Amino acid sequence: MVMAFGTPGRDPEVLRPRDPAEACRMKAALGAEGVFVAGGTLLRTQWESGAAKMPGALIDLTALPALDGIAEEAGALVIGPLVRLSDLVRSEPVAAGFPLLAEAVRRIGAPSIRNLATIGGNVASRTGDALTALLVYDAELIWRTERRTETMRLEDWLADPGAGEGFRLLAGIRLKRAGAAAGGRAGRIAGGFRKLGRREAFIPALVTVAVLGRLTEDGTLAGVRVAAGGGSAVPSRLRAAEAVIEGARVSPETLVRLGEAVAGEYRPASDAFAGAEYRRRAAANLIAAEWFTLCAPDRKEGEHDPDP
Amino acid sequence: MIERTNPLPAAADAAVISFTLNGEPVRLAVPPARRLIDVLRHDLLLTGTKIGCEIGRCGACMVLVDGRPVNACLTMMYQLEGRRVTTIEGLAGGAEALHAVQRAFLEEGGFQCGYCTPGMIVSAAALLAERPDPTDDEIVEALSGNLCRCTGYGGILRAVRRAVAIGREADGTG
Repeated sequence: MVMAFGTPGRDPEVLRPRDPAEACRMKAALGAEGVFVAGGTLLRTQWESGAAKMPGALIDLTALPALDGIAEEAGALVIGPLVRLSDLVRSEPVAAGFPLLAEAVRRIGAPSIRNLATIGGNVASRTGDALTALLVYDAELIWRTERRTETMRLEDWLADPGAGEGFRLLAGIRLKRAGAAAGGRAGRIAGGFRKLGRREAFIPALVTVAVLGRLTEDGTLAGVRVAAGGGSAVPSRLRAAEAVIEGARVSPETLVRLGEAVAGEYRPASDAFAGAEYRRRAAANLIAAEWFTLCAPDRKEGEHDPDP
Repeated sequence: MIERTNPLPAAADAAVISFTLNGEPVRLAVPPARRLIDVLRHDLLLTGTKIGCEIGRCGACMVLVDGRPVNACLTMMYQLEGRRVTTIEGLAGGAEALHAVQRAFLEEGGFQCGYCTPGMIVSAAALLAERPDPTDDEIVEALSGNLCRCTGYGGILRAVRRAVAIGREADGTG
């Protein structure tokens, strides 16, 4: 027999699109009454807190298996937005090619949250902790609209999501292989990710920073990338900070100027727990400390710092 | 198959969800976005799974879906179609055969008020199923989504280490 439970008329209906184009049509037809859902972890917290109203319909993206999985492309890795955070952490190609992303995702939520939540949801939130790591890898976002596929650099989308955002669907995250990305000069790739929260684990970030570059054989840095985010601030690359150490040798003097550049450039958001000034200084110190550690002479290739 | 009389009229917007619950196939007509925690506690009267924060922060409602821990307060029924759900009630082999983690929590006193205990045990059981001999760091990481406000965690960590030892003894490797 079938048992039946529930209160009629209180819960949203669940729509299962057959392909990304139909998902976009559903969203276009429903407007604010239809919401794309994958893991649903962030949405549930918004519904429970009252930050967002439960919509009339959930558009279930897990009906679209084409948006799942991690695929190798020529010179790139394409991560499907439906990949669960726990599966991303376990992915060998991600760990081997993009360890800062694996590290950032490993620090999101707790194991049970990572078993539900998807990387697509973390990106689509525009404040997820994976974004700083994705920014230093210069990730591209592949979007599906009802009629076509378009690609946009993550950095550009974060700066300006553009019009009609609700009617397009994240279909992939493309990460170009290093080597080409860091200028191809000899030396070793150096990168780090740091998350600062009010507890050691299972806490939203106050500040996240990610840095990436190449320590060349003559001791100078090339292809430097620096990004910061955390809290309700939309993460961004810090170009002035990058310019301070691009082509330079790390020294106490350059690190002081690097910290000043970060503090002058980064625009965090305050909340009840931490002010913008605290976050600015924390980001400056974390970024300077990360480069200091990465450029220490006794470090080996691929070495990865544990949490501070 | 669950064969109890349905105490409530079918909701107009219900969907039939088929999944496995504690080893038994079940079919339920429920609003598809209804939370698993509500179905377990209110509809099926399986109250071993506790409810705390309702936003995935406390871990009191931890269950296994296809062997992996998830928060039942965050899980919607349609997400369970075809899945295998295990609650604290389904962890033991029967009243006389407690799960090794349950035994260890009893032997080591890994609880005080007991409210977080089902969630702690479910998370620990999932860890040991995947890694029978975890490091202390792996134990702490596996329990990082379960909050206890009584114990200070000392007894809980001791209980999980005891469960590891029970597993080794059962294997004959201890």
